[in-house]
Amino acid sequence: MNAKVTHVHDVLIVGAGFAGLGSAIRLRQQGVEDIVILERESEVGGTWRDNQYPGAACDIPSNLYSYSFVPNPGWPRSFSGSRDILAYIHDMVDQFELMPLIHFNKNVTGASFDEAQGLWTIKLQRGRAYKARSVIMAQGPLSNASLPNITGIDDFEGHRIHSARWDHDYDFAGKRVAVIGTGASAVQIIPELVKKAEFVKVFQRTPGWVLPRPDLRTPEWNKKLFERLPITQSAVREALFWGHESMATALIWDTPVTGLLERVAKAHLKHQVADPWLRRQLTPDYRIGCKRVLMSSDYYPALQASNCQLVTWPIDRLSAAGIRTAEGLEHVADCIVFATGFDVNKTGTPFPVTGLDGRRLEEEWRGGAQAYKSVNVSGYPNLFFTFGPNSGPGHNSALVYMEAQIDYIVQGIRTLLDNNLRALDVKPEVQQRHNRRIQKRLAKTNWNSGCSSWYLTEDGFNATMYPGFATQYRRQMKTLKKRDYRMQPEGITS
Amino acid sequence: MQLDLDNMLAKIKASQWALADFDWDAPGRETVTENPELYAKLKVFMADLMWIEHVGARGFAAMAKKAEDPTLAEIYRYFHAEEQRHANAELALMKRWGMIEGDELPEPNINIRLVVDWLDTCADDQPLDVLGSVIPMLEITLDGALCKFLLDTVDDPLCHEVFGAINADEARHLGVDFHVLETLGYSPLYQSSIRAVANILNPKLMIGILAYLPLLNRMRDNLVALGLKEEKLYDAMRKYERVGGTEQGRRNAWFRIISLQGKMVIDRGNRLYHVPVDALVKLSDRYPRRLVRPLPSWFKQLSWRSQV
Ligand SMILES: Cc1cc2nc3c(=O)[nH]c(=O)nc-3n(C[C@H](O)[C@H](O)[C@H](O)COP(=O)(O)OP(=O)(O)OC[C@H]3O[C@@H](n4cnc5c(N)ncnc54)[C@H](O)[C@@H]3O)c2cc1C
Ligand SMILES: [Fe+2]
Ligand SMILES: [Fe+2]
Repeated sequence: MNAKVTHVHDVLIVGAGFAGLGSAIRLRQQGVEDIVILERESEVGGTWRDNQYPGAACDIPSNLYSYSFVPNPGWPRSFSGSRDILAYIHDMVDQFELMPLIHFNKNVTGASFDEAQGLWTIKLQRGRAYKARSVIMAQGPLSNASLPNITGIDDFEGHRIHSARWDHDYDFAGKRVAVIGTGASAVQIIPELVKKAEFVKVFQRTPGWVLPRPDLRTPEWNKKLFERLPITQSAVREALFWGHESMATALIWDTPVTGLLERVAKAHLKHQVADPWLRRQLTPDYRIGCKRVLMSSDYYPALQASNCQLVTWPIDRLSAAGIRTAEGLEHVADCIVFATGFDVNKTGTPFPVTGLDGRRLEEEWRGGAQAYKSVNVSGYPNLFFTFGPNSGPGHNSALVYMEAQIDYIVQGIRTLLDNNLRALDVKPEVQQRHNRRIQKRLAKTNWNSGCSSWYLTEDGFNATMYPGFATQYRRQMKTLKKRDYRMQPEGITS
Repeated sequence: MQLDLDNMLAKIKASQWALADFDWDAPGRETVTENPELYAKLKVFMADLMWIEHVGARGFAAMAKKAEDPTLAEIYRYFHAEEQRHANAELALMKRWGMIEGDELPEPNINIRLVVDWLDTCADDQPLDVLGSVIPMLEITLDGALCKFLLDTVDDPLCHEVFGAINADEARHLGVDFHVLETLGYSPLYQSSIRAVANILNPKLMIGILAYLPLLNRMRDNLVALGLKEEKLYDAMRKYERVGGTEQGRRNAWFRIISLQGKMVIDRGNRLYHVPVDALVKLSDRYPRRLVRPLPSWFKQLSWRSQV
């Protein structure tokens, strides 16, 4: 192996989730062929491969939570389950013949740029390094499951399951189950657990705003219509897009509509929960939109099932037998389900990234990540991020944003390859100007209105969300302006 | 009495305890069970005490939603839970002494019941200055002091152990209570007075006051019945004025009102106060129980069991 000279790929993609696979499709459609995708697991799918807990589903309608360049007339439900979304991803891989590009079981542990050659070297946990002229970081914003920082977490002697690493062999029948966390995953898991387990205790720190989610089965005639007349499906997608766009006015900024939406959520709560104390425990005391809004019509009913109890006392520690809370009792459990979310890289990178002159991205981002248009970072040429800093939607499909990023990245890579550049590097002043504007706009949003959430760093810096409409985001991503970049041709060193 | 709230929260988190930390079958229960005279009075007293924990608990629950400082809100969230813990521990003692059967909960006296009822329906609507000023008084005279008095009459070593833990919690509660009482005095007295006058005319608060006044006299009578000196209660009430009466604290109109009322309670010779209030106590005994709203659902989470 050592004798073989390492092949230099035109593009190397880290991660075979929606972002990585979508990037490969669009690159190929633009004539870029020499692509390799490195995936640390042995299967494609990312989020939807990992999140197979009972009840896992998207909370954006499937017609919008899918790629416009890979239409699927056959979505079985308005909000598809995890398995259907994973099947869609598998179909996408088959349809566009992506399998040969993917190298599985390759866990990327570092990336460094060699200025003289204009090449990125990608180090792996095991095996030889890869080389490429450009790199797309598509490792996912929510791909590393995180356990909460609770004293005695290793003392618990029962079974432990993280929502994103579900244990399908565990039989919940007759078991006492504790669920820690009441976020997006928890509200989907709890109604399913209540059906199976003997008793479910839900440990809540802060309640979320919950809006009803009408989940309808797609009628057959509808699927046929979409198949025969694809334009009807794009029309539906368009309508859904604008429906979600209009939510931005309520969710991103504090406007009269925000109050209206809160009233809808409160009416939903009042309608579903009769007991005033329980209702009080479930009423958030921050503006809707400050944290991710939860979508569920069966969460509140599940909490009130005779075999379910909401516990809002602060957790003191885990013990051998269960969970000790501050009211002095030990809640005995056979199994603890951690629906506690993910390690989101707001102040670092998932692995060391070394740019020009040995600069380290994880150090530059310590105070909060920033980039230019969420895609490029000055000093790290030919490197592209999907779901990068300040690209998060609070109100619309992540894939709408992702498509815009991907098409922007494809322009960047075409510029690099067509002009045979050694480096395409965003100018530092351009990046600074962009971020000053972003942070100024963020200051006026609900996310920065005083609740703590995974959107913010410990110091309250917002490195994740995009403060505006998806339309605005798409518009700014439409064209890559060459004047924003320092372009260094092959053969000339700066 | 300025406090570093972050430090306080860290201290609270580091000082958590649970029912499981005690051996509820340890020797010594006979010191209570074999003393019939004490037993009967203690049973009543414990039932009241356990319910008084809820006066603090419900107050803290309201404060947790009101406090603007997230650290203070988190502290109140803990205090709310700690009051529930005290109630659970007191239930466990009653269970040990054979004062309750199975999962039954003891009945509180009507005055406590009315105060808890009022807190449940109205506390969330009360302004921060009212809650922040009255909670220290309730804590220092009832929640904190009653626990200490108990130890003078009961010899059960486990009881002393448990109340050691409870009193350590209460010391932290008082620290925060008086810190907040003081910060409430930051606005000028006239502003605070205008707000107080406006609030006192609020009918919900009037009902609260009518529930609160007889409670103090009732607990005084109960203490006397237990063979304790009422002076002890008065010492605690004087402490409210002493500790709370800093320069800042005195600028809080509610502090002044509550101190004044405290002075009247202490002065048994003040017939203008005691005749009507004692009448209220008698009257409340005839308050039809069916008019009291059913207990809110939080009481279902009370338990004397270490493990649930
Ligand atoms: C439970 C859940 C529900 C969600 N629901 C919605 C929704 O309704 N609407 C919405 O818009 N968004 C939703 N999201 C957000 C969702 O993560 C994104 O929409 C999208 O799936 C992200 O795709 P991705 O390709 O960027 O990342 P991922 O799907 O996470 O894919 C990243 C891939 O990279 C691999 N990888 C990571 N690190 C390395 C490494 N070091 N080396 C090699 N490979 C690596 C991972 O194994 C993974 O396969 C949800 C997320 C979760 C967790
Ligand atoms: Fe107490
Ligand atoms: Fe207390």
